[in-house]
Amino acid sequence: MNQTQTSSGPILTTDGIPLKVSLKKAERINKIRAFLLVLPLLAFILITFLVPIGDMLARSIDDRQINTVFPKTFEVYKKWDRQGLPSEEVYKTMFFELKNSEGYSVGKASTRMNYSKSGWKSLLKKSKRKFKKIEEGPYKEKMIAIDKKWGDPEYWLAIGQMVDPTTMGYYLNAVDLKYDSSKNVVQQKENRRIYNKTWIKTFKVSLLVTLFCLLLGYPISYLLATLPMKYSNLLMICVLLPFWTSLLVRTVAWMVMLQQKGVLNNLLVMSNLLEDENRFQLMYNQTAVVIVMTQILLPFMVLPLYSVMKTISPTYMRAALNLGASPMHAFYKIYMPNSVPGVSAGCLLVFIIAIGYYITPELVGGKDGQMVGNWIAYHLKTTLNWGLCASLGAILLAMMTVLYWAYNKIVGIENIKLG
Amino acid sequence: MRKAIKAAFFGLISMAFVGSAIADITFVSWGGAYTASQQKAYIDTYDKGSSITVENYNGGLGEIKAQVEAGNVTWDVVDVLPDQAITGCDEGLFAKVDQSEFLNDLVVPPVSECVVPQIFWAYTAFYDKAAFPGKKPKNIKDFFDVKKFPGKRGIHTWANALIEMALVADGVKASKVYEVMSTPEGIDRAFAKLDTIKDHVVFWSSGSKPLELVSSGEVVMALAYNGRIGAAILSEGKNFEYIWDATVLEQEYLVAIKGGNEAEALAFMAHASSAASNAEQAKYIPYGPMRKSSIDIIKKGEPWFVKEGGNIDILPHMPTTPKVLKRAVIGDPVWWADNGAEVHERFGAWKGS
Repeated sequence: MNQTQTSSGPILTTDGIPLKVSLKKAERINKIRAFLLVLPLLAFILITFLVPIGDMLARSIDDRQINTVFPKTFEVYKKWDRQGLPSEEVYKTMFFELKNSEGYSVGKASTRMNYSKSGWKSLLKKSKRKFKKIEEGPYKEKMIAIDKKWGDPEYWLAIGQMVDPTTMGYYLNAVDLKYDSSKNVVQQKENRRIYNKTWIKTFKVSLLVTLFCLLLGYPISYLLATLPMKYSNLLMICVLLPFWTSLLVRTVAWMVMLQQKGVLNNLLVMSNLLEDENRFQLMYNQTAVVIVMTQILLPFMVLPLYSVMKTISPTYMRAALNLGASPMHAFYKIYMPNSVPGVSAGCLLVFIIAIGYYITPELVGGKDGQMVGNWIAYHLKTTLNWGLCASLGAILLAMMTVLYWAYNKIVGIENIKLG
Repeated sequence: MRKAIKAAFFGLISMAFVGSAIADITFVSWGGAYTASQQKAYIDTYDKGSSITVENYNGGLGEIKAQVEAGNVTWDVVDVLPDQAITGCDEGLFAKVDQSEFLNDLVVPPVSECVVPQIFWAYTAFYDKAAFPGKKPKNIKDFFDVKKFPGKRGIHTWANALIEMALVADGVKASKVYEVMSTPEGIDRAFAKLDTIKDHVVFWSSGSKPLELVSSGEVVMALAYNGRIGAAILSEGKNFEYIWDATVLEQEYLVAIKGGNEAEALAFMAHASSAASNAEQAKYIPYGPMRKSSIDIIKKGEPWFVKEGGNIDILPHMPTTPKVLKRAVIGDPVWWADNGAEVHERFGAWKGS
């Protein structure tokens, strides 16, 4: 009886604390230690990766710049029926909010308003300067007298898109749509429809580059993996040497090679294979972007392919041939399936790098080789429309996530190997 | 031992403070021959010049906005284009400056309260004399006339200046260009004119490219920054000829970044924008000074351009002589600040279609 009691009661350690509690404590300390060990990495990822991405996503829908400058105007604006011009009350509120605004808020607001309707920027600036001299109404007439844009309903209607603190406007903008004055989604003006074409082009170029990299990279990697060491080392250097060369140097070298009066065209003309006036247009267009990017990204395909192929034992192929398979059949049935993890890794890597490429299209893209990255750079630097940049970037991110998800469904992510 | 380390440590800290008391500002500009001319004209001649760090950038306000928003300003004085001078000043990225010293001495009024004058530069059409042994192109109409002067044209990948030039080539007076551009039909008209050369253009995006294009014969005529053309003629002995018609003049300013070393930055900018400094710069690069008195200094000092084996007259290469100004378009940064994004998107669509 006594014995059963001790065994069913809690097991105690020598200092009288139940073993379970003591163990838990020890475990907790270990857990904290482990956590502290990964804390620097976690903090690093949080600060350098998650926070900027979060900030970017927030920027892509944030629309508060104007709400803080013209809050009262928005209140009275909401009552307007969007027919003709707004009432004197709207003009008056706008007048005082603009006149009494301080600091740089108007500058920032006018930049934002200019995205909705070109012309707001100078209108607000000029008006703020001239409003100082106006003491009393009627404000509507006086404002229109200062600048006739105040009498243009288009400008007033454009405000309607900015009344809410958040907006989907940047995302719409990124796919050639926009809000009309009553917040319906409509197509962008025809001659400004540029982003859908750019998206398709970006996809097309990235896919082509990935495909060409695979076509060129597969045989090279096969040779690298199967040749005797002394030859394969030499070949490896040939792959790595351009990889170590500056991106700009390689791009400019291609410019010299491919331009109309460049090395390639000159050789063809000199050897009478090409008429002087029919020189190939291989530079400053989409073809140039595909050629140059393929060369630049090739090592990203070759290296994962090579490291996977290196692990495929040559005995498999020998066994297949021994069992009577034709070389083609053996390759198709044995070698290729074994190299799939390398192919997936290479393709995913090349595609991901290609889709956000910027500098090469900028240099050799010319008239039709500009990709999404180039537009992001333009808005980031010149128009300061960071909301649009953020939405373009977010769409890129979303597309990559979808791609990753689809890839996981079809091939399986465990089937990816870098070596 | 420990004491010695401590002493050395404090010594280092105090040195850092002494260091920042000299000038210790970072000057950011576009690089190449242009920055070299700034270095010679007013960094080397500044008494605290040796403590100025020079960096290059590619224009735009992106980096500056990021620095100011993050409260970590590492640039102090930046060389900016006029539309950026306007936007940056409006958004509070730049410090305001005292402009009384030069206000009445400028060719055009300053675009904002944050700037001191630098130079005028220009988009100019040019060709290699060897490309046209017979009749030579004389005006912007000829640039847009591929029947009269067959061959490819080199133009830049953005819309600024191209719209203006297309309209002048289509018969609009240089002084009326922005009036026409402010109507939707005006922009349509410019794009219609651009359509006529669309199949004959090669695009460039970096300033040295049009010179290469013309030198190699890839194109017969190109638009370029006048300073680059001048440098090729003056320093490399190229056989280029300007087409001084519908030259689009652009302003260039210096600004001080808010939250940087403002006091030192403003002191340096006062030196850099003096009439003497503005004139001095033209010794090394053929961009036009913005100050009237600087042009007088150059006129009196000709031959002004410094070259080994004897100086050369610089005024024939300047975009601000009366002869050129008569047929030039003075770029309107306010128009571009308003309409730049829209026109640029349309230009992008035009390029790609």
